[in-house]
Order: sequence, then structure tokens, then C-alpha cells
Amino acid sequence: MESKKNINSLLMSEMIFPLIVGVACAAIFAGTHMYVVYHTGAFNEIFVIQMLDKGLKGGDFTAAAGFSLSFLLARVLEGPLVGILDIGGALLTGVGIGIPAIMLASGINAPVMSFPLALLTGLVIGIAIGGLIIIIRKLVPNGIASGGTGIMMGAGNATGRYLGPLIILSAIEYGIPTGIGAFIGGAIFYKFDRPIVGGAILGAMIAGGLFIK
Amino acid sequence: MKVLIIVFKSIIIGFLLGGAVSAGAARMFHAPETQGLGAFRTLGELNACNGDPVAHFSFGFGFLLNSAAATVGAGALTQDVVHRVIPNFATAILLLRNKKIEETLYNPSKMALAGAVVGAVVVTFLNTLSAIVPHNLAEIAAKILTPASNLMINPVMPVIFWLAALDAGKTTGTWATVLGGFSHMVSGNATPGVVLGILVGQTVEENGYKSKPSIGLILIVVIMFIAIAYFRGFFKKLGLNF
Repeated sequence: MESKKNINSLLMSEMIFPLIVGVACAAIFAGTHMYVVYHTGAFNEIFVIQMLDKGLKGGDFTAAAGFSLSFLLARVLEGPLVGILDIGGALLTGVGIGIPAIMLASGINAPVMSFPLALLTGLVIGIAIGGLIIIIRKLVPNGIASGGTGIMMGAGNATGRYLGPLIILSAIEYGIPTGIGAFIGGAIFYKFDRPIVGGAILGAMIAGGLFIK
Repeated sequence: MKVLIIVFKSIIIGFLLGGAVSAGAARMFHAPETQGLGAFRTLGELNACNGDPVAHFSFGFGFLLNSAAATVGAGALTQDVVHRVIPNFATAILLLRNKKIEETLYNPSKMALAGAVVGAVVVTFLNTLSAIVPHNLAEIAAKILTPASNLMINPVMPVIFWLAALDAGKTTGTWATVLGGFSHMVSGNATPGVVLGILVGQTVEENGYKSKPSIGLILIVVIMFIAIAYFRGFFKKLGLNF
């Protein structure tokens, strides 16, 4: 009972926060490693990962880096003020996509291509970010406006919504079976209150698998 | 063999992420005195399930299905695994044995343990699902996704963010327009500029141009853009020699 209470107060302490962020980032960075090597496992939305893909396939990492690092900056500034560090913008996007994008764009491939190195790199970055948050909390009582992040989140969500219909259109351009699969799949998912994207992709793939040789 | 490696790595990744994210989620309930890690929407949704394990489980499961679709289609586990699936499943498991929220959801060590196990299972499940799907199907998905996402990256996303900035006030709109234009000019995509414009505009609107946060932020942004322009050879393009 005593040791359980001690672990709990440890996990609630201020100093353990950087380690919690570090462990999360280790896993998230390794998730990006998984995506780059096995094409599965990145912890983000399809549209954000597509930005990374643009770099992986064509060498242009600007969209991925620019978008992700802006979110990282915004969330790291906001986190200490509101008491919650947003995982999505800061870690999943900022550390998971932005930092690998910059590394790959600069030719630093090792941290992303090696699993142990990915875990280690993520851990160090996460501890640094977590530490920065705690430092900011101590130093700056009032700071940069968090109103901006509200706008960004709204716009970010709106962007995600565009992808479903865009995919349906693209699937139709690709071929009739995939097109029909996409809009029917999208419609079914929508009927059951799920985002259209998933249904569109699944429908297109199922139809494509069945009817395209 | 490759699938075994994927399983092995997924277990490690899921365990670490699940544990950290769930501990962070529990800490959220003690914010702002304690620094939490998560998202406001997660806080809201966990509260909405109201300590009912069935509610937590259904919520998490619904999003697991979404994530499965996105993973199979694009290798993207989605953010929902971290925001919604792991925290709610972990909470549901803890609540089955102990009905009290204060001793379960608000308790970082218990959440960390439950979350770590949930994470390992969920991430492994999603990644292996994706690895089993045959290659030509994945190729079709890629050929369909790429044009769609290209359109989205340019011009859909810049425009959406731009409009959001314009709706947010004169200062924000002006900064977003100028920085967005500059960003597209030096890097081919306006989104980072528009987003930074939103940040600067909102900070200035709240604190005024002469305040420390505003001056600091504007300085950082200007230096950043000059650096980006330099590294992309923008100044050379203009005919200047640096």
C-alpha cells in the first residue's frame, strides 16, 4: 500500500512530467519510424501523414515541417498557461511529423530509420519539451495568447473534413469501381455518424480489390 | 518474419505510449495546479462518460473502428488512438473493478498501468491489420489518396486557415495575409505563414504591439522567415548576392 501511494505521488509530481512527455514522444517518434519503414504505425490523421508522404516520396518536406512546427510552437506556448499540454498538436504532430520532417529534409536519416535510435531521439526531445513547459510555468505567469490555438484547431478540423469528399472525387477519377466503392462507403459511414474518410478509403479499396486486376 | 518484427515493435510502442498518455490524462483532472498531458476534448469526453464502464468502452470502440479504417487505408493510426481509444478503454477496465472515479480515472499510476496494456494491444492490432492487407490494394489506396491530399495541402488547407484568420479580426487577418503570402513565396505553401500570422495577430490583439510577448513573437517569426528564405535560396532568386 505504501509503495503504491509513493508511485502515485511520483507520477503526480512536477518533475516527472518531462519523463512522461519523454516516454510518450519516444513511442510517437518510433511510430513515425514504423510508418517510414513499414508504411503503417504513424500516430496522426491521414491528412497530416500525407504531408509527410509528400516529403518521403518527392523530397519536399516543407508542408510537413511548416505545418507541424507551427502547431508545436503554439501548443508549447499554450500548455503551461492552461495546465494541459495538448498531445495532438505538440507531440503527435510537432514531434511525430514535424521533427522527423526536418531531420529527413536535412539528410539526417538515422534517428528515423533505426528503431532504438527513434525511441531514444523521441525520449530526449520529449524530456526537453516537458522540461521547457515546467520552466515556462515557473517563469512566465502570463504570456502569449491562446486564442490563436482555438482558431488553428477549428481550421485544422475543417481541413480534415475536406479530405473525405476529395478522396471520393479522386477515387472516381481513378476508376469506376473504386469510385462507386468510395461514394457508397463514404455514404454508409456517414449514415452511421463516422467520418467519411474511412468509408471512402475502405469502399474504394474493397471495390478495387474485387473488380480491378 | 516482417510481421513478427512489426508485432514486436508495436507492443513496445503501444506499451510506452499507452502508459504515458493515460498517466497524462489522469493528471489532466488535477490541472492547472498540476501540469497535465492530453487534450481538452479528451477531458470533456471522459467526463461525459460519467464513470460508466460501458459508455467508456463503447466510445473507445467506436473510434477504434475509425482508426482501423484509416490504418488499413493509409497506415495512419489517427490521433484518436491517443485521444479517445486508449484513455477510454483504460478507464473502462479500471472502472470494472472499482466504481470510484477518484480512485481510478484520477489516479495516474493505475491509469498508466491499464493504459500501457491497452496501448500494447491496440497498437499491435492496428499495425498488424495494416500489414496483412495485400500490396496491390495498398497501392490502389495510395494512387487515390495522393491526388486528394495534394489538393488538400495546396490550395485547400491554406485557404481554410486564411478564411479562419480573416474571420478572427482585422489584426489577425492582416498578419495572416502578409505572412501567408510571404510563406508561399519562399516555400511554396502558405499554411505555415497563415498559422504564424494567426498566432502573432491574436497575441498582438490581446497584448498590444508594445508588450513583451508580442515583440518576442514577431522577432522570432521574422528571424524564422529570413532563415527559411535564405536556406531556400530565395534571396539568390531575387538577384541578391547572399
